[in-house]
This record gives sequence, C-alpha cells and structure tokens, in this order.
Amino acid sequence: MAAAAATATTKGNGGGSGRAGAGDSSGSRKKKGPGPVATAYLVIYNVVMTAGWLVIAVGLVRAYLAKGSYHSLYYSIEKPLKFFQTGALLEILHCAIGIVPSSVVLTSFQVMSRVFLIWAVTHSVKEVQSEDSVLLFVIAWTITEIIRYSFYTFSLLNHLPYIIKWARYTLFIVLYPMGVTGELLTIYAALPYVRQAGLYSISLPNKYNFSFDYHAFLILVMISYIPLSSTHGGLCPLTVMAVKIQCLPFYHMRLSSAEGSNVSLRLLLHCCHQSLDEKE
Amino acid sequence: MFKRHKSLERKRELLFQGLPQFTMKNNTRNFHSLSQLVLSAGPLKTTTAVKHSKTTHFEIEILDAHTRKQICIVDKVTQTSTIYDVKQKFHKACPKWYPSRIGLQLEYGGPYLKDYITIQSVAASSIITLYFTDLGQQVGWTTVFLAEYSGPLLIYLLFYLRSSYIYDVKESFRWPRHTVVHLACFCHCIHYIRLLLETLFVHKVSTGHSPMKNLIKGCAFYWGFTSWMAYYINHPRYTPPSFGNRQIIVSAINFLMCEAGNHFINTVLAHPSHTGSNACFPSPTYNPFTWMFFLVSCPNYTYEIGTWISFTIMTQTLPVGIFTMLMTIQMSLWARKKHKIYRKKFNSYVHRKSAIIPFIL
Repeated sequence: MAAAAATATTKGNGGGSGRAGAGDSSGSRKKKGPGPVATAYLVIYNVVMTAGWLVIAVGLVRAYLAKGSYHSLYYSIEKPLKFFQTGALLEILHCAIGIVPSSVVLTSFQVMSRVFLIWAVTHSVKEVQSEDSVLLFVIAWTITEIIRYSFYTFSLLNHLPYIIKWARYTLFIVLYPMGVTGELLTIYAALPYVRQAGLYSISLPNKYNFSFDYHAFLILVMISYIPLSSTHGGLCPLTVMAVKIQCLPFYHMRLSSAEGSNVSLRLLLHCCHQSLDEKE
Repeated sequence: MFKRHKSLERKRELLFQGLPQFTMKNNTRNFHSLSQLVLSAGPLKTTTAVKHSKTTHFEIEILDAHTRKQICIVDKVTQTSTIYDVKQKFHKACPKWYPSRIGLQLEYGGPYLKDYITIQSVAASSIITLYFTDLGQQVGWTTVFLAEYSGPLLIYLLFYLRSSYIYDVKESFRWPRHTVVHLACFCHCIHYIRLLLETLFVHKVSTGHSPMKNLIKGCAFYWGFTSWMAYYINHPRYTPPSFGNRQIIVSAINFLMCEAGNHFINTVLAHPSHTGSNACFPSPTYNPFTWMFFLVSCPNYTYEIGTWISFTIMTQTLPVGIFTMLMTIQMSLWARKKHKIYRKKFNSYVHRKSAIIPFIL
C-alpha cells in the first residue's frame, strides 16, 4: 500500500525525533515527546499489535504445514486478520489526539483503505476468499506490520535493534509491490461477482432519487491506485531513499489539498452516472 | 534603540551582500556605499542617522521569499507612496509579474501587505527590504462569480432538456417529466440568474483578486454538484416527493421567499454606507425581509441556506441534500467569522444576536 510506505516513513521520522529528544535534557524530552502515560499506552498498543500479527503469521505457517498446500489459507486466519486490521483504526485516533506525530489524513487513508479491502471486498465477496491474491496481500501485510509495530515499540523504548531498522527500510522494496499486486488482483477477481449480485448497489427509481453502482466504484478504486503507484517508478535498492523522500511531499500535496476532494467528487459523480447506463 | 540596532544590522547585511555589485555601479552607488559605512560605524553618528532617515525618498530592496536572492531595487519612492505604487514600479522592472500577482511581505512568513498601506508606515529606515512571492495567475472577483454561477445555469438546462447523450431516448419518451421537475428547473434558474444579475448590478466587489486555483476549485464544486443533482432530478426514473403536491407547493413558496429575502439583504449590504472600511452596521428598514437583521448578523447566509433546504425538500433528492449540508457548513463558518468581526468592531452591538441561525448559532 502506497500510503502505508508514506505513513511508515513519517512515523519512522517521529520515532527518530523521539530518540533524539531523549539525548537532550529530560525536561525537553517531556516537551517534545508524548507524556509518560501516553508512551506507556502506545507501547502496550504496539506490543499487542505486534503479537496479533505474529499470531496471524504463525497461523499461516501452521495451516500451510497442516494442509501441505498454500490454497485457501485465508480461512485459517480470517478472524484475527479482521480483528487486528480493524483495530488499526485506533491509530487514526492516536494521530487526531496528537500522541503520534503523523498526519491524520495519511493515516486515515492507509487504514481505511485496508479496512475497506478486508470488509467491503474480501469479507463481502465470499468467492474471492479462496483466491491466491488474497494470500499475497495478507502475507505482505503480516510481515510489514510485524516489522512496523515492533519498530515503534523499540523506538518508544529508545532501544532500536539494527535488524528491525534494516528490515523496516529494506523489505519494503519487496513487500510493497507484493501487497499492491495482491490488493488489485483481489478487487479484480471480485468484479464479476459484484456485478452479478448487484452488491451494495442502489438503483432508480427510489424516493431518495439517488443511485450507486458498487461495481463501477471498485473499478474507480483500482484506477486510483495508478497515480499512487506511479510515484514509485522503478524500485531498486539504490533508489530506496529517493523513493521514501519522494513519497512525503507527493502525498501531503495530494491528500491535503482540496483538489483531492474535488477529484473524489467527480469520481463519485461519474460512478453514479455509470451505474444507470449499465442498467438501462 | 532596539529598532536602531535592527536597522543597522540590516545595513551591515546589505554591505556584505551588495558590496561586489556596488563596485560595478556608478558614483551614486559609491555614495550609498559610503553613507552605509558611516551608518554602520555605530551609534556615535546618531545625528547623521536622524538626518538620513528624514530624506523624502526611499529605496526598496525586493528579495525572493524562498531563495532570499535579490530580484531588484525600487528607488525614488516617496513616503506617501503606497504598496501598490511599489508593485507598479516592480512590474516595470520585472514585466513578468503584474501588480495583482505580486505578494510582498515585511518578513518571511509574515502577512502580505495590503495595497493601500503607505511606505512611511512600514519604513524603519530609508532602505526597506521586502520579500516577494509569486501569487500565481490572478482573476478579478467579478470574473470568479460570473464563471461560478453561469456554469450551473447552463449545465442544469442541459440535463433538463434530457439530451440523448445523457439519458436513454426510450426512457425519456416513456416517462414524461413530472410537474415538480419543471418547477425545480424554474427555481434553479431563478436562483442563478438572480446571482448573475446581482454580481453585475448590485454587489460591490472588493479591490482584491483571487488566484486562478481558487477559481478552478469553485467552478469544480458548483459545476460538479449541479451536474450531480441535475442528473437525478431530471432523470426519467425520477420519483416525486413522498407527500405529493403539498410538499412541493409549501417548499416552492418558501424557496421564493428566501430568494426574495436574500436579494433584499444583498441590496442593503451593497448600499454605500455599508461597504468599505468605514461602514456602519446595516440595520432593518421598512422592508419585512430585512427584519432578519434583528435576529442574526448575516441574514444573507440565513436566506441562502433556507433556499437550498427548500429546494432539497421540493425535489427530495439526496445529492441536493448533500450540497445543502456542505453549503450550510461553509456559510456557518463565514457567518461566525463575520459575527466576531461585528462584535469587535461595533461596541453597541447586541450580544444576544446569533450569527446565522436565530437563537441557535
């Protein structure tokens, strides 16, 4: 997930500044970072999330060993995946309160897009749950999240092992395209079933005089990946740092500007128009 | 003393920055260089400093706000000149940027200086440093409003005509328009025609300009929402309001009354005694529609919201409801801000009065 990388980088910077603050006097440290209660809460939260995603990872491995095949592994980790990914909504709250120095918009985009994929696509369209693409993004997310949450935990404790830091900024190269590919393929696989069942769609006539076509909406969601992904250009080790630096201004510009909402408005408008043309 | 030190510091910086250039200049520059050397010597020469600061001409150095590089120097500026005059001279020196596009600041990150501010009110010495920012392409406010309002008028009619590009021809013939659809078109057109006419003949537009980006945003918002709501109101499968003619007629009457109210309030606000920086607070007249001033600070916004609520109920269309909600939020913010200004500006202002919604907000 593109926003995940941007948010991850932002939070990494936050953690770094926290550590730098510790180097100064204790007074300035208190001013710069969150209070001790907030820090304790964040440590607990990050530990719980790390453990949660580890449970998912262990579940995947055990299920694979038990079945001897990687097909349909989703069913063995469905519940914890939903629980811990939805639990990430708390991070939006953390940013809003201010105990985490990240953008609310960036975090919201990242978390909501994942929650959307879990509930509105994978959960809602049973047929795609056995697709290999689901496994693709689940594995990418699991590894990414274990690294990310443990990174935060150790950062908050002011003791960051090199292996975690290395994993954080290196495995991203493989995990990011892997996750995006899995997400796109999953949505693509869901399209025919959504269209066939008219899932989450509203058609005219109705007393609200409004229509919505979920099928067209999903197509727009897939299309919206393109501008996000294109900023990463060619992924190779030598350009990793450039990519990370490149992420921030682009996302801030794109997500924080009003054009974004206008674009969304037009997309929604187009989506609603398209819904009726198909039915007529 | 603090100010003196600040100006001296600035002069020293000028010496370091401008010294190579000074050697390239003519005798006038050498004289300036010499005078600055004398001034930077220290407070011993207070008499000379005082004399120098009394000169009737100023020299304004303009730096780029981001790069801090010098763009040009505007000289022979009198103390009664305004920022606008400086912008005119700057435009002559650098034709690329026209006056309304020039943003000048006294300090980096500070507010942009208004055009009417005089040089002597901001001058700390005879040499002034201003920071320049390119504000981008600028558009007059009248142009902005005409563009924003003419779009909805034409777009709505396009949907009303049920062009074959938009709706299926068979559906259009099979389901003739309901009476409420005609009425909605009439009301929508009245609204925007009135806005266009008021923009041309009633409103007193401020002397400022708006960035091109804002124009695009505004048009995208108005034109986009108009397309969205017009699509559903004029759709062959449109469903009339749940409570039938009763709902339609009551809403239409309320709509027209709010339209009239908004118009009369705008007329009052545009009166010469209520515009400009010396305006007095507008007050109710014999016209019943202006009595809303007794209850709220910004009755023009109140009536505007009433208009859209009526239109929402008349058409019973979700997109119109969403548009109404967004407009209400935006105008509430504007009204609250204006309410604070009124309260601060007019001591005799009635504190019980609301900003936009009587007794509530």
